[in-house]
Amino acid sequence: MPIKAMTQEWMDAYKAAIQADPEYKGLAKDWEGSVSLVVNPDPAKNVPEPIYLFMDYWHGDVGDFVVCDKEKADSAKFVMTGDYARWKQVAYKELDATKALLQGKLKMKGDLPYVVRNIKTVNKVIDILGRVDTLWPDDDHK
Amino acid sequence: MAYDSDLSFNYFGPTKIVFGANAARDVDIEMGTLGGTRAVVVTDQGIIKAGLVDGITACLGGRCAGVFSDVPQDTGVEVVNAGAEFARKNGADIVVSVGGGSVIDTAKGMCILLTEGGTLRDFNGVQLLSRPQTPHMVIPTTAGTGSEVTNAAVIMDKEMGQKRLLVENFNVPRMAILDPKMTEKLPPLLTASTGMDAMTHAVEAVHSIPHEPLTDGLALHAIRLLYKYLPVCVENGSDLHARGQVQIAATMAGWAFGNAMVGIVHAMAHSIGAVAHVPHGIANGILLPDCMEFNLEDAADGYAMVAEALGVREKGMGDSDAAQAAIRAMREFTRKIGHPQKLSEMGVGGKDIEKAADMSLSDGSIVNNPRIVMDSAEVLEIFRKNM
Repeated sequence: MPIKAMTQEWMDAYKAAIQADPEYKGLAKDWEGSVSLVVNPDPAKNVPEPIYLFMDYWHGDVGDFVVCDKEKADSAKFVMTGDYARWKQVAYKELDATKALLQGKLKMKGDLPYVVRNIKTVNKVIDILGRVDTLWPDDDHK
Repeated sequence: MAYDSDLSFNYFGPTKIVFGANAARDVDIEMGTLGGTRAVVVTDQGIIKAGLVDGITACLGGRCAGVFSDVPQDTGVEVVNAGAEFARKNGADIVVSVGGGSVIDTAKGMCILLTEGGTLRDFNGVQLLSRPQTPHMVIPTTAGTGSEVTNAAVIMDKEMGQKRLLVENFNVPRMAILDPKMTEKLPPLLTASTGMDAMTHAVEAVHSIPHEPLTDGLALHAIRLLYKYLPVCVENGSDLHARGQVQIAATMAGWAFGNAMVGIVHAMAHSIGAVAHVPHGIANGILLPDCMEFNLEDAADGYAMVAEALGVREKGMGDSDAAQAAIRAMREFTRKIGHPQKLSEMGVGGKDIEKAADMSLSDGSIVNNPRIVMDSAEVLEIFRKNM
């Protein structure tokens, strides 16, 4: 049964999928710090308001995974912002996140060299995101 | 070369180019087309001593808001902050940079601060801006960086002990004036090393993962022009025709790598530059052939196109043989133009390359390399070959 994207239930499922991945813990052993995803509103695609998602990663463990407010999102070590359609493309691996940053399709506040040094961890969590059975806001009509 | 059936890319190159001998004299007229009324000129002491700024300020006349010339070889956060403060105090509404990479990158940082306020440390990230920045015209005095048409700037942050990479589509220079007279006085070694910087941009744009037909076209023609005209410039710096062709090539290579990105050569050159202060163009020129060798299996089709551009692909050659011919030709080319061959010639030691190999894995360029680099030992091996 697909879970509605960008809801707390979906965040819980994403966190559980990361925890269940046999490779994640080892790959992410050097990663320190939280990541926020900011989804810009797109009323035409049933995203009427911005959505803020906060995820706490620490040396292979995962902490808070919550839908939050702007203030908490801004407190993350890395804040990545993009249009809803871009995030969906990232989830489906139609858009490479690093390439999207360099092309201006996503924005990132934070230390780029740190992200590059840990690119395998970044790619892993994106891989896992794609595995979460998701109902996207603009899939509702189906 | 065939492109994937699901080819998908964005090409972004909004910079207007004005080319010609003495085109820099049009700086005042061209500035008006961008809506500028008072220009701060950003440059360095070497450029002033070479007499390249006087003509610019004379053309600007009363539209010149001042000259900021305190730019070192590797610019820093404090330099950008001071430059922006200088421009603000003097009421500048447009920035004209006259110089090489460090000067251009300083001006890029200044444009952000003039529009957004604050200091450069407030901008730690990628593509953070959401509106056009203060207009920037570039008059390059070297032919190599391509920075006149790219969205990136590298600024040293001594307090943080690292270089900051600014990547902002809203901060690409609006115009570049390519005037061959501005590069006429470049000495042979600097001509060769900045030219190899451009050559490396072009080759890396071809082998990088995001390469596409537009960037390939630009890069391959840049390679043709550089291969033909860079040796002429090294031999006879006052050949303005050759100087102009190399300037055009450097700008084309800038557009190519600004969109297709660069790979392992730049990751290594940035790192050895940070550790041992090897000038960027020299590091690129030394490392390029062995990095091509490293990528050979994953980029043979791209290097085969490079071989065609160099005119060394013989009839009947497969991609792999053609790629190897391109690598051989590139090695010979660096010797022909008198380019340094080994990092040890630049005072680099064993400890330096160990540190630089490790740093290379954190460089943003490495993720675009066609051969995935998983271990710093692979990078160290390439460094060792060049000692």
